[in-house]
Amino acid sequence: MGLEQHLPSGILLTNIEKFVGWARAGSLWPATFGLACCAIEMMTTGAANHDLARFGMEVFRASPRQADLMIVAGRLSQKMAPVLRNIYDQMPEPKWVLSMGVCASSGGMFNNYALVQGVDHVVPVDMYVPGCPPRPEMLMDGILKLHAKIKQEQLVERPRPGESMEDFERRVGRRDPVDVGVPDMAANRMSAKSQAVTGDMTRQSDRVERR
Amino acid sequence: MAGSDDPTTGADTPTSGAEHPTGAAEQPTTELAPSGDGDRFSVEPRHEFTVAAGEWQELPDAVDDDLMVINMGPQHPSTHGVLRMTLTLDGETVLDNQPTIGYLHTGIEKNCEYRPWVQGVANVTRMDYLSPLFNELGYCLAVERLLGIEDEVPERAQAIRVVMTELNRISSHMVWLATGGMELGSTTVMIYGFRERESILDMLEHVTGLRMNHAYIRPGGVSMDVPDDFESRVRALVKELRDKVGETEDLLTENPIWLERNVGVGILTAEQCFDLGVTGPMLRAAGIPHDLRKAQPYCGFEQYDFNVVTTDTADAYGRYLVRLGEVYESLKIIEQVIDTMPGGPVMVPDRKIAWPAQLGLGPDGLGNTTEYIGKIMGQSMEALIHHFKLVTEGFTVPEGQVYTAVESPRGELGYHVTSNGTNKPYRVHVRDPSFIHIGALPTLTRGLLVADVIAAVASLDPVMGGVDR
Amino acid sequence: MSDTPTGAGPGPTAEPGGGTSSDNPNMAAGEQAELVETGLEVQLSEQLMKVRDRLVEAFGDLEVIGFRGELTLIVPPERIIDVLRFCRDDPELSCELLADLSAVHWPGGKRRENAQETTGWPTYETGSEEGRIELDYILYSITHNHRFRLRVSLPDVDPRVDSATSVYGSANFMEREAYDMFGVHFNDHPNLVRILMPEDWEGHPQRKDYPLGGVEVLYKGATIPPPDERSY
Repeated sequence: MGLEQHLPSGILLTNIEKFVGWARAGSLWPATFGLACCAIEMMTTGAANHDLARFGMEVFRASPRQADLMIVAGRLSQKMAPVLRNIYDQMPEPKWVLSMGVCASSGGMFNNYALVQGVDHVVPVDMYVPGCPPRPEMLMDGILKLHAKIKQEQLVERPRPGESMEDFERRVGRRDPVDVGVPDMAANRMSAKSQAVTGDMTRQSDRVERR
Repeated sequence: MAGSDDPTTGADTPTSGAEHPTGAAEQPTTELAPSGDGDRFSVEPRHEFTVAAGEWQELPDAVDDDLMVINMGPQHPSTHGVLRMTLTLDGETVLDNQPTIGYLHTGIEKNCEYRPWVQGVANVTRMDYLSPLFNELGYCLAVERLLGIEDEVPERAQAIRVVMTELNRISSHMVWLATGGMELGSTTVMIYGFRERESILDMLEHVTGLRMNHAYIRPGGVSMDVPDDFESRVRALVKELRDKVGETEDLLTENPIWLERNVGVGILTAEQCFDLGVTGPMLRAAGIPHDLRKAQPYCGFEQYDFNVVTTDTADAYGRYLVRLGEVYESLKIIEQVIDTMPGGPVMVPDRKIAWPAQLGLGPDGLGNTTEYIGKIMGQSMEALIHHFKLVTEGFTVPEGQVYTAVESPRGELGYHVTSNGTNKPYRVHVRDPSFIHIGALPTLTRGLLVADVIAAVASLDPVMGGVDR
Repeated sequence: MSDTPTGAGPGPTAEPGGGTSSDNPNMAAGEQAELVETGLEVQLSEQLMKVRDRLVEAFGDLEVIGFRGELTLIVPPERIIDVLRFCRDDPELSCELLADLSAVHWPGGKRRENAQETTGWPTYETGSEEGRIELDYILYSITHNHRFRLRVSLPDVDPRVDSATSVYGSANFMEREAYDMFGVHFNDHPNLVRILMPEDWEGHPQRKDYPLGGVEVLYKGATIPPPDERSY
């Protein structure tokens, strides 16, 4: 937008950021990237019963050059992955990606050779909406949370109010993320009672312990 | 989307030649040689060019003519999903159309081999995502035939299956109409279609718990019985649908724009249909009254009275009329089933196969009812063992191989299931109608204008989930 | 239903599953019981028996299997095109549609399913000397309303057979899929390239020696291997 070169500072900057965020989120145009079952639910969300037009989003632009938001709806196969990256690259900044459904978020129930296990292997994702397929209401919830995220975006990176310098540096990637450590293994074992009932029919607990 | 930059499929392509042997420079000929898809009705262009995938760059040098090769790429608002068509155009007329599929290949068939038989239902239901209950039904019929319990499935389960699948047929045709109308420019039809679909999906959610991909039909019956107000709600729904679909019919059937865009477009005669393996509404629009529900009835269809809708125009408009007629026939069938719905169980009596859970809506959501949990935990050890074994390991199915087919909204959906006597399928092959129909695309779209290609593909009603599986 | 703990062999030899049908009270009464070559009593409808007679009359002794009311004929690979053409053109058979063309891979060597220690189910051991790939052609006649299967058994290594596209146009895509997924080479196919996988993919995914290809699922401190690598 060229805006970033001419920024004031201080309170004027925050207000400009708020305005820009509101404008960007106000009518986010999705690019059609419907792949499978989630695409049908996406179309349903755009149709009359659950209306996306109230957010200004009913125009699903066919051309990625006119779109801001790519909703990757459905399972991404290995053959389709370069196409996805191509379409993502054709979108002009600012752009966001919403990964709809579990197949797009993580490979879903298809943990096999044919699918990319999560669209974030190919494009950077801003919002993940799980579900198989997610209900239209769930998708709208995800979209609204994405709107909130967009409205908070900063044009110049600086710590948010109440954020420490270390957290700020981690958020923008200037510092390695915190290592949370390995949690207590006891959480993964079967409770004594269920073990008594089922006996040793599955060896889950042993397998976990061995690692 | 540019064509592939890679060289041709070196090691994989046999030297006996692709449909387009390498070498773009060809003698000008006066007619297209019949291509391998059995096309005997060819259009006569002025030149024949045969180019293998990846050699498009050589084409312009060889051309002293104005043929254009255009890609209607996998990401396209009008191609009904991720279908890629490479059109060879002379002006606006399509001379050749090579579809490329595989952009949604999920390996569902291989996935089924690593999961117990019942979990195959959840797998398989996601193939043809507009009519998931048909996928489940075909699979369950195949498994039941392998188990030899085809006649033991209770009548109530059969009746419920019929109602649910016919509702799904209506919703699938509504989505077809909605997306087809949208592709031809009518957003009103899209809104109408999805509105009808919402009513049906509300009904399906009321019964199965999910709007799509239900995993409701299980081998041996259905997973749980219908709620108490099922009958009244379905009657109300049928009445509502008759009115609403009537609205859409009023809008479209005599609409001059709809007629202009659909009459005479995408003709596929009966002979071509047979050769290309096309079944379903396409075949019925060509005049052949073939419907698997009448020819090889399953699930008790022989007791219901309905017509097989045919036209004899074999074009996109004929297919529209056929599908609309099928919606009304489905409504008729649903009414008959509701009138004669038998009582009884909804699962086979054999406790070693029947899905053990008795689900009910409790204070914390859908789960096993407290009576059932009391029974398995307190009263019957055998029931507990059955429940545990069936849920973790599943039942085993005798060895053998069967092929069952159901009449899905798109055509003959067949399941070719092989078992080797274990608790997991050995091989599940799905004969999906959309896969075969995409093979008919070159013949269907030869000689059409580009805009008509969209109308023709819309009338074909391919669902890429089923094509690529 | 019965659990058959004996080995499941590939194609042509006896299908022990057929034996269970005689225990099965569900085979419709009133249909004739016919003895078929493999020595099993199955009940095929009259119509299918006529189909079988006609094919045996035209092509000599073909091995026949009847299972759950379905007719299967085993055809040697070099004759499959003639048989298909006969089925399409003969007025008594008149199979207008090739409904399905699919393949099943029975690899050579020993295969063991369901380790006994963890589950208590009997172990299913299968074995054969060499691997086979079976192609099944399902033919359907609209005029006569019958459906039957032709089976061709090919060796596992470099399987080759003639293409059926000269007889049925619908075989085009189906054979490409069999090629892509199993590596079966169809002679004289007009365009034998991969159809479902990307064109430069190596390997044939639905063969039994090709892994499922899943990734490990990570939990906090634990991992679950993909389904084909689990031992339970």
